[in-house]
Amino acid sequence: MSDKPARIPYYPGCTMKTKALGFERSAMDCAEVIGFEMDELKDWNCCGASYPLTKDNLMGLTAPTNILIEAERRCQKEEVDPNLLTLCVFCYNTLKRTEFALGQDKKKLETINAFLDRKYEGSVRVVHYLEYLRDVIGFDNLAKMVKTDMSKFKVAPYYGCLLLKPQKEIGLDDPEDPVILHNFLDALGCKVIDFPAQVDCCGSYLVMREPEKVSKLSYDILADANEYGAETLVTACPLCQSNLDQSQGDKVQFADLDGMPILYFTQLLAIAFGLDTKTHKLEEHHIDPLPLLKAHSGADSESK
Amino acid sequence: MLINPVEKDQKRISDLELATGETISDCYQCGKCTAGCPASMDPAPSVLIQFLKLGQFELARNAESIWSCMACLTCSERCPKNVSPAAIIEGLKNLHLRDMDPRVDLETMSRDFLARSPQMAIISGFRKFI
Ligand code: SF4
Ligand code: SF4
Repeated sequence: MSDKPARIPYYPGCTMKTKALGFERSAMDCAEVIGFEMDELKDWNCCGASYPLTKDNLMGLTAPTNILIEAERRCQKEEVDPNLLTLCVFCYNTLKRTEFALGQDKKKLETINAFLDRKYEGSVRVVHYLEYLRDVIGFDNLAKMVKTDMSKFKVAPYYGCLLLKPQKEIGLDDPEDPVILHNFLDALGCKVIDFPAQVDCCGSYLVMREPEKVSKLSYDILADANEYGAETLVTACPLCQSNLDQSQGDKVQFADLDGMPILYFTQLLAIAFGLDTKTHKLEEHHIDPLPLLKAHSGADSESK
Repeated sequence: MLINPVEKDQKRISDLELATGETISDCYQCGKCTAGCPASMDPAPSVLIQFLKLGQFELARNAESIWSCMACLTCSERCPKNVSPAAIIEGLKNLHLRDMDPRVDLETMSRDFLARSPQMAIISGFRKFI
């Protein structure tokens, strides 16, 4: 990775253009303040969302490989470092694991190239926005850009599963005892609430088949965060955001818990930078984060 | 339960190993996967693997609990023997799905769910259940 922040090829994925618009817009606004540009790939397809776990998974690798090819060509043409920035944790996991699989298994790479009738040379390195902040920008430097006093925010860093696992392929942080979101929140000056359920699963796509189980898992995570004193929770995953936020509509399961707003880490970063959050879709969250944001940061609720 | 090893199942078990890339005999039944599994599966992940170790392919294949796995990968990450129960479970699910036996019915799926769910929930759901 280069050490100078600049224009970096960016893969959004489907959710970022629909249900997680607030995530993408807040990330882009923050990138502008930090001094880099998220340069969206011109021609991209869905990555397939979940990485196929079995070894006979060639078909499932064609979609993400096509994206890596697009990124590789762009980087070669523009003579920039072959990095591909992602925000969505599902996309990140799928693309990163594909990068790993094709790097390990040349035969797989050749088969997929032959099938796609395009050539992937294997040069792209998939990077998550958080990783970029940590490794290229530096959390120390990020801290210097903070304009708002964030000390009243009691925030639980929630990692979930796919940002970290499997560690030997993703390699972002320790899957059992991660610190990257903790350190990010520290840099913002928030009160970081370390809580045991930070790496527990929210239920993921099981919401399609067993929503009650997802409600129960979400409840366990939020009850834990609440018990440790958190007022809000940050995530990098649109499915975690949706499950944890929308499950709170289950009034029976959540009878003894006050609503807890679930924010994307970039939405909180935008508040810390003192940005106008009008386009960050905060009003679309099931549990309205605006009262909390207003009370703690004096941020105005123009986005209503 | 009385367990009688079934000979013809051995072939299907080695096919499953080939498809998933896992070696079922590597599992030494420590139960660590089951201990960390958030999906309240019954039979639990280590039990499903024990069925396969005992040659009881159908017991594993037809276990309803495989459909509750959410691929959180906690089991695979923690297994001291480098087995991926999540991959084995996905391999079992694929046998049904490739037989055109889907586990969610698109016709009856609520419009509200489709309207408010993020795309990856729907796409992953399609991949895992259809
Ligand atoms: S953790 Fe691994 S070795 Fe232990 S029971 Fe599960 S699969 Fe077998
Ligand atoms: S991947 Fe599936 S079996 Fe493994 S711990 Fe998670 S839910 Fe349980």
